[in-house]
Amino acid sequence: MKKIKKYFKEHPSYWWKVPGIILLLVIAGCSITIDSIDQPASVNGGDILPVTLHVTINTNDVRTAKFMVAVLVPKVWKAAQNGVITFTSDLTSGDQPMTVVPAGTPAPNGNGLDWPTYLTQKIGNGGNLLNEYEWVAFYSNSAYSVVGNKTYTVTVSIRMKTSVDNLQFKLGYCVANSSDGLSDPQYYSSYFPGCFRVNGEGDLIDFCNPQLAVVDPRTSLDNDIVTVSFDGGVAPTALDNASQVYLCVKGYLTSGDSITVCSQNADTKMESLGLNRWRKDIWPRGLFHLNEEQHLARLAYYFTDATGTIKVGYGGGADPFTYTFKCQ
Amino acid sequence: MKKIFPLQCLLLMTLLFACKPERLAVPSEPLKDIKGSWQVIKATRNGTDLTARFDFSKFRIHFSDSTYTIDSLLPFIVSKNGKWAFDDPQYPFYLSFTIPDSTARSPLLYPVTGGQRNIIITFSPGCTANSYQYTLKRVN
Repeated sequence: MKKIKKYFKEHPSYWWKVPGIILLLVIAGCSITIDSIDQPASVNGGDILPVTLHVTINTNDVRTAKFMVAVLVPKVWKAAQNGVITFTSDLTSGDQPMTVVPAGTPAPNGNGLDWPTYLTQKIGNGGNLLNEYEWVAFYSNSAYSVVGNKTYTVTVSIRMKTSVDNLQFKLGYCVANSSDGLSDPQYYSSYFPGCFRVNGEGDLIDFCNPQLAVVDPRTSLDNDIVTVSFDGGVAPTALDNASQVYLCVKGYLTSGDSITVCSQNADTKMESLGLNRWRKDIWPRGLFHLNEEQHLARLAYYFTDATGTIKVGYGGGADPFTYTFKCQ
Repeated sequence: MKKIFPLQCLLLMTLLFACKPERLAVPSEPLKDIKGSWQVIKATRNGTDLTARFDFSKFRIHFSDSTYTIDSLLPFIVSKNGKWAFDDPQYPFYLSFTIPDSTARSPLLYPVTGGQRNIIITFSPGCTANSYQYTLKRVN
């Protein structure tokens, strides 16, 4: 103590900094963390995905706010309609219901951005490689008052109905409050447990791993403009040294017939994007010259060189990539 | 005094009847005219600009008084020739395309760009989740 007194006697100008440091410690003392998460590695398509978040909140300030929980999910799950979130805590009694924050509702301190946009900007997409993901935010139905210097334990129960789609996705979770939003890392916590699998129907929609071939939009009909991309940088293929790449595609009609378009010409020539990446935008009805009665059910396609002799299919092999025309 | 009084009366009468309320004709909003041929100058799919990536150059839509025809069909709000109509000819917010068995309606924007009227229509030719926006410019 004598040493401290002597120090401030020698440095009188430092006295004013003491209350500032104490205040900083108090403000910086608030924290919310997702300590752990219980989530299965996979579920069957159409099943309910049960998730539990174990959250700790340390407060050093009085605050009255709603509790916010957000989930990063595939859009096709329609989590805003199919998700149910409740929580229990040592501040409350019984299950506390939560409700989806309507799209367009500005997030606190979010510069006018709504929660889904703000979460995407601040937290990100969890490394999902297809853009058909969304953050869905839920607020507790009630606001809760907390006092300073307390530790609260919160257990969040999330139940989301998955779609029947066969997919892999990197789920994400975020907790925060309706007062501070995502204004400072101490006020929110996020958690990405890794790649999650739904064993569903149809072609695998893989958000987790880079793909040799991707079709955008993921869901479309034959009257959409469809972008077929080939990324030769993902894995070595027989087209690594090709200076031109073409699409070779067979269209299966709903009638059971099929039409093949596999000539190397302007209709099938892919645009080079550099780094062995290629892209082609097609209008399937036009490419296959369909009449009014004809409709495509699915595609089976390869990528070829300019001669058509080198063909690259699924996984770089001899089987074709496939794409099914359907809407969500 | 006697001479001045009639003069004052005359002046007063002149002042009273010299002014009358001006009847201004309320300018009426002209009917929007889209007759003629239009081409696609910008196209987006779910916000992604496809204009330079896909060949829209041959597509034409020809509007006459109440009918339209399409050349070199592409993904569009309708795939057959038919009739068109505004929801309000003076202040149109929607443009309808009617073919024998159905009607499709697009929100309509009608901006002036570079001194020329453009038409911007929004539609989904395939899945409803996929939204396209075409900006059309009159072909001279």
